[in-house]
Amino acid sequence: MTVVAKSSLIGKRIPKMDAPEKAAGKTRYVQDINLPGQLIGKILRTDRVHARIVSIDTAAAKALPGVYAVLTAADIPKRGLGVNKDNPPLKGDKVRTIRDEIAAVAAETEEIALEALKLIKVVYEDLPILADPRQSTQPGAPVIQDAKPDNIAMTFDYAHGDVAQGEKESDVVVESEFYLHYVTHCCMGVSGIIADFEPTSGNLTLYSNTQVPFLHKREFSEVLGMDPGRIRIIQPPIGGGFGSKLDIYPFEPIAVYLAKAARRPVKLVFTREEEFLASPTRQPALCRLRSGAKKDGTLTFRAVDILLDNGGYTSWGATIPFVMMQTFSSLYRVPHCLFHTKAVYSNNPYAGSFRGYGNLQATFTVEQHMDMLAEKLGLDPLAIRMKNAQESGEVTGQGMVFTSCGFKECLTTAASRSDFARKFTDYAQQQSKPGNKKRGIGLAAMIHVGGGAKIYPSDGCGTILKMDDFGHVTIMTGASEIGQGSETVLAQLVCEELGLPLDAVSVVNNDTEVTPWDVGVHASRTTFIAGNSAIGAARKAKDKILNAAAKVTNMTADQLEMRGGFVVRAADGEMVMPLPKLLRSLHFSDKAELVMTTHYYEPSSVHQDKKFMGNVSATYAWAAQICEIEVDTDTGIVTLEKVTAAHDVGRVLNRMGLEGQIEGGIVMGQGYALTEDLMVRQGKVLNPGFRDYKLVTAPEIPEMDISFIESMDGEGPQGAKGVGEAPAICMAAAIANAIHNATGVRLTRLPFSPENVYRALVTAKGGVVE
Amino acid sequence: MVERYLAPTTLDEALKALAAGDATIVAGGTDVMPQSQAGRFKLGRTLVNIRRVAGLQGGAKEGDEIRLGALTTISQLREDAFIAKTLPVLAEAADHFASVQIRNMGTLGGNIGNASPAGDTLVPLLVLDAVVELRSAKGMRRLRLDEFFTGPGKTKRTPDELITNIFVPAPKPGFVARFAKFGTRPALDISAVSVGIAGIVKDGKISNVRVAYGAVAPTPVRGRAAEAALEGKTLDAATLAAAAKAAQGEVKPISDRRATAWYRREMIHNLVKKVLADVAHG
Amino acid sequence: MSLTVEIRFTLNGSPTRAAVPPGLTALAMLRDIVGLTGTKYGCGEGECGACTILVDGLSVNSCLMFAVECDGRAITTVEGLAADPANDRLRDAFVEEGGVQCGFCTPGMIVQSKYLLSQHPHPSHEQIRRGLEGNLCRCTGYKKIIEAVAKAAEGTP
Ligand SMILES: Cc1cc2nc3c(=O)[nH]c(=O)nc-3n(C[C@H](O)[C@H](O)[C@H](O)COP(=O)(O)OP(=O)(O)OC[C@H]3O[C@@H](n4cnc5c(N)ncnc54)[C@H](O)[C@@H]3O)c2cc1C
Ligand code: FES
Ligand code: FES
Repeated sequence: MTVVAKSSLIGKRIPKMDAPEKAAGKTRYVQDINLPGQLIGKILRTDRVHARIVSIDTAAAKALPGVYAVLTAADIPKRGLGVNKDNPPLKGDKVRTIRDEIAAVAAETEEIALEALKLIKVVYEDLPILADPRQSTQPGAPVIQDAKPDNIAMTFDYAHGDVAQGEKESDVVVESEFYLHYVTHCCMGVSGIIADFEPTSGNLTLYSNTQVPFLHKREFSEVLGMDPGRIRIIQPPIGGGFGSKLDIYPFEPIAVYLAKAARRPVKLVFTREEEFLASPTRQPALCRLRSGAKKDGTLTFRAVDILLDNGGYTSWGATIPFVMMQTFSSLYRVPHCLFHTKAVYSNNPYAGSFRGYGNLQATFTVEQHMDMLAEKLGLDPLAIRMKNAQESGEVTGQGMVFTSCGFKECLTTAASRSDFARKFTDYAQQQSKPGNKKRGIGLAAMIHVGGGAKIYPSDGCGTILKMDDFGHVTIMTGASEIGQGSETVLAQLVCEELGLPLDAVSVVNNDTEVTPWDVGVHASRTTFIAGNSAIGAARKAKDKILNAAAKVTNMTADQLEMRGGFVVRAADGEMVMPLPKLLRSLHFSDKAELVMTTHYYEPSSVHQDKKFMGNVSATYAWAAQICEIEVDTDTGIVTLEKVTAAHDVGRVLNRMGLEGQIEGGIVMGQGYALTEDLMVRQGKVLNPGFRDYKLVTAPEIPEMDISFIESMDGEGPQGAKGVGEAPAICMAAAIANAIHNATGVRLTRLPFSPENVYRALVTAKGGVVE
Repeated sequence: MVERYLAPTTLDEALKALAAGDATIVAGGTDVMPQSQAGRFKLGRTLVNIRRVAGLQGGAKEGDEIRLGALTTISQLREDAFIAKTLPVLAEAADHFASVQIRNMGTLGGNIGNASPAGDTLVPLLVLDAVVELRSAKGMRRLRLDEFFTGPGKTKRTPDELITNIFVPAPKPGFVARFAKFGTRPALDISAVSVGIAGIVKDGKISNVRVAYGAVAPTPVRGRAAEAALEGKTLDAATLAAAAKAAQGEVKPISDRRATAWYRREMIHNLVKKVLADVAHG
Repeated sequence: MSLTVEIRFTLNGSPTRAAVPPGLTALAMLRDIVGLTGTKYGCGEGECGACTILVDGLSVNSCLMFAVECDGRAITTVEGLAADPANDRLRDAFVEEGGVQCGFCTPGMIVQSKYLLSQHPHPSHEQIRRGLEGNLCRCTGYKKIIEAVAKAAEGTP
């Protein structure tokens, strides 16, 4: 008797499947791909913040040898991009932000293209600059977009309960204004695209790093006025995404227009400076928050008024209230909640989506208020959170349904592992002791969608699965890989269903001609949605295999199982036949069948109604993070010493991949709080380079202690939830709370750069600052 | 536009190349390359790469002076045993300098030639009373470092001159020198301010005091007021406070994206105190 | 730029010639003239380390180096390291410890780690962190990269 043992890859440390090639320098990113006969595309960007374009003279550029195409707004259809369709790829009437695209060139070499840009003469008439969003809706403010004379790009209003009633019931109320600054994605691979248009067939092939290929196909067809069926998007491996590639941005259609005009493939890749100037930012925000609680810590109400600087054009940044409001309404039980947001136009850069999608901003305010309420009530930060924390079974005021919920366990785990209670008290007592080094500890928690987010008509993902005669599986998934390791997780999930080792599965995820539809990589949805889709396809394959095996063996399908590349008897694992043999017997017999299956998975979530009510995600991720810091009161330098994080991940699928996501997110959150600052002054970006835009470097990272809470989500793939965005969300709030614990000073404006912290400390001591 | 590339291996060849005019000296290139790529620095018709010129590397004691070759890399300053022993303040500055890769390429001569007010070897060299040796086809001259810089990126060097060596007096008994750079990272940070202090500490008193600041003026500068506040004094709390106040009062920094003028003055005050505390403890 | 300078150097162990304009960076030469795209452009100003190569065994930013400076030198890129089985331990450590996510910083990290280990065969945690201070990574948070280097150093004589 040959018994095949059961084995599982779930929860193991599985290296990323594509890592060996990457580590050998073999992986070809879009920057590394060159098509025969390709031209180099370059964009002329304005150096004005707000100006009318009087004339553009491209004659000299066109005459330069080696130049194949020069385009301005006059040469392309008048169609806007983005959420409000207000962003024409090339600007013809006026420029509204420093990055604005006014002309584009395709030439034989980069040098010639740059030379040609210099030859383009633009005459401007400067317009008054609108640099402060608080001025945008004042009478007499310059109008940025003619279609929106009130300068309001978007508003969101949400309410449950009655905040006036909540106020009445409150024993304490706190109110603060928070400011959240500009930061940007800084993907290590700069943006780029190659457009290859064949005029005879009308076929357009794009080599693009988009995170949403199928939505882009549609958008491209609208912008370019062409049949979507002729558009093929190939996605080479991507040098980081983090939300930056979720919208269509001007450079993409520009590359296509250039390729069409030049009748040659055009490659357009940013410089790092362009990446800083011309890719989207995280949404800056000004939030006024008012919160109340009863003596025992029970929350009574929350009222929030948020002003979002929309910049000159509307990308996803303006829509972050979708996510923000969840934190205000539903992180804790809040009986009364009022939420108002306004996104206004200005002449500043515009924001896109960025890992966390508004939740870093919302959590920064809510989690500081939890500490402020606790302080007023003489409660400790953990107690007030435990008092109000959500639990499974809860349906929130906003209609969010919490099935699996490990929130309280996250809080208690992080608190006990970091010795929070003792340290919090100790550090607070040491505030007044002499010495310039003050230690502090701070807690923050979060909720984020963990089972997709139903924002588009479908939040689904398709999978095609095929098996060859040797038992090898290829899955074609709509879900793109952006470095987060989804490919490996999908393979693991399929292996688990089919009892195969990891090397028996390959994943194809990079060509719209091959892969089925998916809404895109965002909202931490890929593991959950694409995972369930892959499981669905694998189960269908398994059914087929076991039914075929049943026929051969005179057993029933439910008496059989797949293990280790064999069909085995379920009861005792006795080997029945090798899987390849079965596959070949299906294929090369009179049955003449291949094992090929498809599955489309749509999560159980619903669309929110017009009042933003409804359960938008199939499940939710929870976390608590505790930061321990040291403040040097002589310099204002805040050093992040240790982060203790507890994340409700549903279930751990790939422990190493998960840790990698959490660690990367923690450090990204550290940068948001402490080091990163895209300095925008009067519409200009002062620091478009890594020299003065400071990412966290290796010597600066904190010690990290990460725990996973396995709440086993009923709908999740093997019980898992999406967590890609979660780890960055709490950091700024936790650090703010820690600084308060260390110094007694509450900081409500990001970033906590040394100078900002130092100023706040001096001011708090009654000192004079200039 | 660059028309010619030369990589001389002897000093004479290098000086001849410079004498021909319109030449750009490249040592490590860590300033020349990014500045020229960004269009902030115009390359001459001839690119003279001096990296292979023999005899300009490393440090050695010569009489009562220490000679540092202009081509000594920042990595060498950081790791060289002789420098660590005789001029530890330079090794300390080198440790806070850029990244491993840049330290491997960048040179001492380049840091001086680039004449940035934030140049990290310049402040320690100022407190070490450094002298710059310049050579051209016409001859050799020596200039005191505190008279060498004339503005950001500007020096008294003529285009045909090469910085060949830096000389500093060999430290006398009791000599202490310390350097501190303000920053959130151990290195890879352009100084928002930096402070160097040197002197001879004997019986708790400090003499022959040298104070210098980086990034608070168009060039790295000596802190004469702070020096006066310290000269001959016992390094007690009152002296430290007085020197820090004097330093804060004498610097005239500007506001830029790295820091406001006010903050820079505050940091000079606090850094001077910190460095003096280090000096007091040896 | 019509003028070019003929240079000869050793690239990943093989004698190589190239005709390069004097203003060209070594990075551009490797990627656009020689066609080795493993070495990455991340910033072009020495701040990110994605372009790290070894020149006569020293790690440098190829974006700051003039291509003509390669003349007569031995250049090693990530492709050269990958071709030598002696470096498998380092590469495997990056893979097995999870030091690779999007992978864009990885070539520079690997080359810099190689240099780091040549300087400090048994590096302390602090030496590893400092040794990688010139290499930015936006994905991993560095922890697993640091662990990968530590692992690669284990068992080294
Ligand atoms: C990412 C990055 C980080 C940096 N961090 C720091 C830092 O922390 N601290 C700091 O001080 N600097 C820093 N720098 C600047 C630079 O690395 C240093 O100034 C370095 O010392 C320059 O040396 P080099 O040999 O590379 O100079 P090069 O670039 O070769 O030359 C610099 C200038 O000096 C001239 N020159 C060079 N050698 C001579 C000579 N012998 N005689 C006459 N003229 C000469 C050149 O013509 C040029 O004008 C940094 C640079 C980068 C790119
Ligand atoms: S590309 Fe050379 S350091 Fe960034
Ligand atoms: S793995 Fe993506 S930048 Fe390092």
